[in-house]
Amino acid sequence: MSIEVKDLSFRYGKIVALDGVSTRLGEGAVGLLGPNGAGKSTLLRILLGFLVPERGEGKVLGYDIRRQQAMIRRSVGYMPESDCFIAGMDAVTFTAYFGELSGMPRQEAMKRAHEVLFYVGLGESRYRLLDTYSAGMKQRLKLAQALVHDPKILFLDEPTSNLDPTGRMEVLELIRDISSNKSIQVLLSSHILDDIEALCESVVILKHGRVAAEGRMADLRALDYALYELRVKGEAGAFRKDLEGLGARVDETEDGLIKVYMPEAGDRMDIFRAAARTGVQVRAFVKSRTSLEDLFAGVVGVD
Amino acid sequence: MATVREKGYSHWDGRLEERRFPWWPITRTGILLAFRKKRFKFLFAGAFFPAIVALVGLYVSERLEDFKAFIQGSDRLLNIGPQYFAGYFLNDWLLFMILLVLAYGAGGLIADDLKHNSLQLYFSRPLSKKDYLVGKMSVVAFFVLIFTAVPGLILIIFKLIFAGSFKFFLQYPWLPLSVLGYSALLTAFFGFYILLMSALSKNSRYVFVLTFGTYIFSTVLYGILNGIFRTPYMALFSIPANIQQAKAFIFGLKLPHGFPAVWSFAVLTGICALSAFVLGRKTRSVEVIK
Repeated sequence: MSIEVKDLSFRYGKIVALDGVSTRLGEGAVGLLGPNGAGKSTLLRILLGFLVPERGEGKVLGYDIRRQQAMIRRSVGYMPESDCFIAGMDAVTFTAYFGELSGMPRQEAMKRAHEVLFYVGLGESRYRLLDTYSAGMKQRLKLAQALVHDPKILFLDEPTSNLDPTGRMEVLELIRDISSNKSIQVLLSSHILDDIEALCESVVILKHGRVAAEGRMADLRALDYALYELRVKGEAGAFRKDLEGLGARVDETEDGLIKVYMPEAGDRMDIFRAAARTGVQVRAFVKSRTSLEDLFAGVVGVD
Repeated sequence: MATVREKGYSHWDGRLEERRFPWWPITRTGILLAFRKKRFKFLFAGAFFPAIVALVGLYVSERLEDFKAFIQGSDRLLNIGPQYFAGYFLNDWLLFMILLVLAYGAGGLIADDLKHNSLQLYFSRPLSKKDYLVGKMSVVAFFVLIFTAVPGLILIIFKLIFAGSFKFFLQYPWLPLSVLGYSALLTAFFGFYILLMSALSKNSRYVFVLTFGTYIFSTVLYGILNGIFRTPYMALFSIPANIQQAKAFIFGLKLPHGFPAVWSFAVLTGICALSAFVLGRKTRSVEVIK
């Protein structure tokens, strides 16, 4: 396991950011998913040694997060969420600078900066001042500085934020290429489900600083519940309450589609029995394939 | 914008080094970035003006016969001794230019990093907070030393060359140490002072104003308090007055203010300690909003 944390807890003043998080992350692209404030960025920052956990322990590539932070930072590339650059620098100087700070010899860092900037699609603008870069270019630049020292793991914090659809697709393509072809492990933190679904083989879902679900994407989709989508005629309120009484989670979309997340032990016939009890007619009934969105809604409780 | 992966990614086959001075790239880059600023080179060159004047003075002092027509009886001004060197170090132009160069060239050292969120990029590297601050402080040290220790020692060497003997050195053997000591004091003080100002704002223009404002305000405050209380101790509120007092002590001259120099050293040390505390709080990889 390349990343392993046990009982990690952290709070900002009185606000609990992480509450006993334990997880083991293996190879490939791993998604860190959760709504805003779930603790995703805090977890990344603890893994990098930016924040010291109140409780718990962890290892990244076998290095202790409390005592061997320098070794971790040498092996990890970090792409932060917010825009960050150094005013008055061009991209190639900027990228080489951070390569050098990672421990690369100066000449090598400069050579490598050119390569990486071409790779992320900034080859033509590598001598332009960063102050003049667009949001999309700054996003690529952040990826370039994270890649310059050829890390073993990439921590990407909301890598597609502030991007237009084309820019987003291009950055996702880059990340997919890195994680699938370049033997670099990617830990992707995002609240955008499509990004995680498109890139990651496994996912850790955080909710209020706790792990709400984790595992391989395919396994998670089949885990714990079955999803049924139905339309009814009649008083849906009582019907929903009846189903919730059976342990199912029920969501209703704006166009009247009812999504029923039945517990694994539940029977689909329970839905019809509930309908009969509450006097509603079931007009449509489909067993749906669960998407990450459904999983997310199921465990986090937002649609 | 060019297309993605037009050249392709390849792994780097080198080995990351553990540097002896991990802060050195920060210092080098900070100095280079200062010189890329508009008009900075003119300021930098202007700060050498007192050194050139002092050098000319040294030359004239050794060739009084040749320059008799020009100096017309003011040869006492060119009586070279510790006072002459101390005079170079504390002429208003030099201190003003050092402050101007630092406020303009180094004011953004931390402010720009705070403004553009780049601290997290630094600290995602194998760098400690100490490495970061030493790297930034070395930029200030470079500019202070290049206007103080370097010209000071060069002036002593030129004095010996112009005189053609070691008599001056034997007369004042401690003078090079005084030059180095005073330069070290200015370096340490301005290092902490400029970084403190730089850490107090995200806007380097505000830092510029703050740097000059605090420096000048301290002197104005001294003037006001001295007018009210009529005691020399009020000079402790003035940054330039404390530097003057420390300089006089280091060069073995009569103290300009009527209190022991140790008080001025204590004030300057206090400012440095306060700066170190604030810098420790302000330079974080993560801005924690509670």
